[in-house]
Amino acid sequence: MIVVEKLVKSFNATRVLQGVDHEQKRGEAVVLIGPSGCGKSTFLRCLNQLETADSGRITIGGVTIEGGHAPCNGQEREQQRQLRLQAGMVFQSFNLFPHLTVLENIARPPVVVKGTVREDAEAEARLLLAKVGLENKAGAHPTQLSGGQQQRVAIARALAMKPQVMLFDEPTSALDPELRDEVLRVMRQLVEEGMTMIVVTHEMQFARDMADFVLFFDGGRVAESGPPDQIFSEPKNERTREFLRRTATR
Amino acid sequence: MSAFWRLSRIKTFLLVSVLLLAGSPGAVLSAEVDHLQSIRNSGVLRWGADAEGGAPYVFPDPQKPEHLIGFECELADAIAAKLGVKAQMVQNQWDQLIPALERGNFDVILNGLEITPDNQQHITMSLPYFVYAQQIVTRQTTRGITSLEDFKGKRVGVLSSSVAQRLVQKMGGTDLRIYPGNVESFRDLKAERIDAVLLDLPIAIFYAKPDPALKLSGDSFAAGYYGIGLRKEDARLTAAVNQAITELAANGTMERIYRKYEVWDARQEHLKDYHAEPVTQKKAISTLREWPKYLPLLLRGAVVTVWISVLAMILAVVAGLIIVLARLYGVTPLRWAARAYVEVMRGTPLLIQLFLIYYGLPQIGIRLNAALAAILGLGLNYAASEAENYRAGIQAVPVGQMEASYALGMSRWQCLRHVVLPQALRMVIPPVTNDFIAMFKDSSIVSVITMVELTKVYGMLAMSTYDYIGLGLMTAGIYFALSYPASIFAHYLERKLHYDRR
Repeated sequence: MIVVEKLVKSFNATRVLQGVDHEQKRGEAVVLIGPSGCGKSTFLRCLNQLETADSGRITIGGVTIEGGHAPCNGQEREQQRQLRLQAGMVFQSFNLFPHLTVLENIARPPVVVKGTVREDAEAEARLLLAKVGLENKAGAHPTQLSGGQQQRVAIARALAMKPQVMLFDEPTSALDPELRDEVLRVMRQLVEEGMTMIVVTHEMQFARDMADFVLFFDGGRVAESGPPDQIFSEPKNERTREFLRRTATR
Repeated sequence: MSAFWRLSRIKTFLLVSVLLLAGSPGAVLSAEVDHLQSIRNSGVLRWGADAEGGAPYVFPDPQKPEHLIGFECELADAIAAKLGVKAQMVQNQWDQLIPALERGNFDVILNGLEITPDNQQHITMSLPYFVYAQQIVTRQTTRGITSLEDFKGKRVGVLSSSVAQRLVQKMGGTDLRIYPGNVESFRDLKAERIDAVLLDLPIAIFYAKPDPALKLSGDSFAAGYYGIGLRKEDARLTAAVNQAITELAANGTMERIYRKYEVWDARQEHLKDYHAEPVTQKKAISTLREWPKYLPLLLRGAVVTVWISVLAMILAVVAGLIIVLARLYGVTPLRWAARAYVEVMRGTPLLIQLFLIYYGLPQIGIRLNAALAAILGLGLNYAASEAENYRAGIQAVPVGQMEASYALGMSRWQCLRHVVLPQALRMVIPPVTNDFIAMFKDSSIVSVITMVELTKVYGMLAMSTYDYIGLGLMTAGIYFALSYPASIFAHYLERKLHYDRR
């Protein structure tokens, strides 16, 4: 489903990704953990082209993009768009559209991007709202919702594009602890439905319970990877051990 | 009554002079100080005139532009010499010379000011120093406009608040265009924006005679006298100036000066036949008391102001959007062009831009009528401001909004159209509304390209009634009544949008 080969990305002089390789099958949930600044968010942002990798290759759902330069012609832009359509993205700061209602936030993108008939898009949006438990908020504006509710709408909005893969970039970091669970519950449900997911998070319990694989990022590369049991119980890498010890005492 | 008045004035002056000679400090504080004395004391006679398009009266020497020449320039020197002082010209817009004299900006007006009852309502006119007449100027190819009657149905240009304006206005039935200066009317005549120009003969001789595209059409008519304008209280200065004029006429100095500038003609022989007609003091007009007569005229001007502002703002809002899109999202040369446009438009005066559009473009074959030029000038100028407003609005949309749109597969245009612009435009509604209010008031500047809008109507009415205060209050009231609702609307939007975004 996802193949990443030798992904390299620098910001100015700093090499944030130093040749990351990654492979993931359909239906697998992968959790990225690691200290801040280790490159895990950048990795995710490269996957759906919010950042252009310096080199390397990304394939998602059969669509491949080579790193090196931002798309500069129609064909390359179309390729980039296709890749993005394979992956839905959920941001730490939700990024809902404040000028649209909750329903429009979810129904408008398929109409604009895919040319879906509006009635169909709205019916689908209502189903997704029900799925994230917000069917009664369709007419509200994002600013009237709590952070947890906004993030659930954001998940529904990403799902409305019917992506092959869902990318979560620290989806609960901006939330108060009591609001995190409602978002994590929706994410668990997605895992159980077999959605292919990559989640960047500090929620270790979620990683333990739901991940098929955990990747420990450090210094712009995958320092250690494996099933959660192995990573959390008997980490081989010294840096992983140290990171887990610190997060456990936090 | 009037004689008694004058007599008592003279007495006062004598008294003041005596007191001055006695060196009494109390006398210096008196408001009745004759200016002749202060002129002699300072050694300078300040004369008000307009050198802009002022040939052959007073104008910058083409060879030495920092130096003024003209027959009135030399006359002023000669008169000042007779008073034993030096002449110093004070630049002042021609149609505002009388109020400026009353304000004390200079001592006398010496600038083709006609001796008319209107002008004598507020100031004293000296003996005449020149006999002028009205001359029609047309394009070389024009036939059949040789007299005032031929103006019916034609587009006729005149100088603001000149005798020509009064003549044509009184006759009625013409499309009258009023210009702030002489040069502009000839330019429009050549650009075929108007059919004829009516103006004082010396101007016609200087500007139109050497121009092969123009001709003096028909005989000059409606002869009249130029005199020097003085404040009513300056009786001694008036007497001194009159004596100087009489002497300069008698000893041939005037003829010599006038021949030098080719404005001497047989009519000047009549200077000595002049008899001052008694001026009947008109009752001061209170336009406030007679508002039903004046308010409709002002409102008609306000209609022009409103539609020019509205159309110009629509242009500015649309053009500004195109400019900002080019600047932020265009290809590199487009970005530079948009940026240069904004900087140039904001860095140069609107007045110059209007002149370039209205008088400059015809030289490369683009002839816009005054209304179109006004809308274009205002609109294109404000487009730069609106582009900057939009830019601030667009840049205030969080970058996360764009990332979310791209992540959903939107193209850049779709992201702009559905996500960025709807949010940015909401944010810029208050500053754009404020700009509209500002433009509404700025629009008065288009009177320089012959648009008769609210401020111009005010100026014209004030010129004939001299009631600057009453008309000014009415005009300001109209501007306020029109802009205040817009201001309330801006506040309302600001509150409402703020609430939405909470």
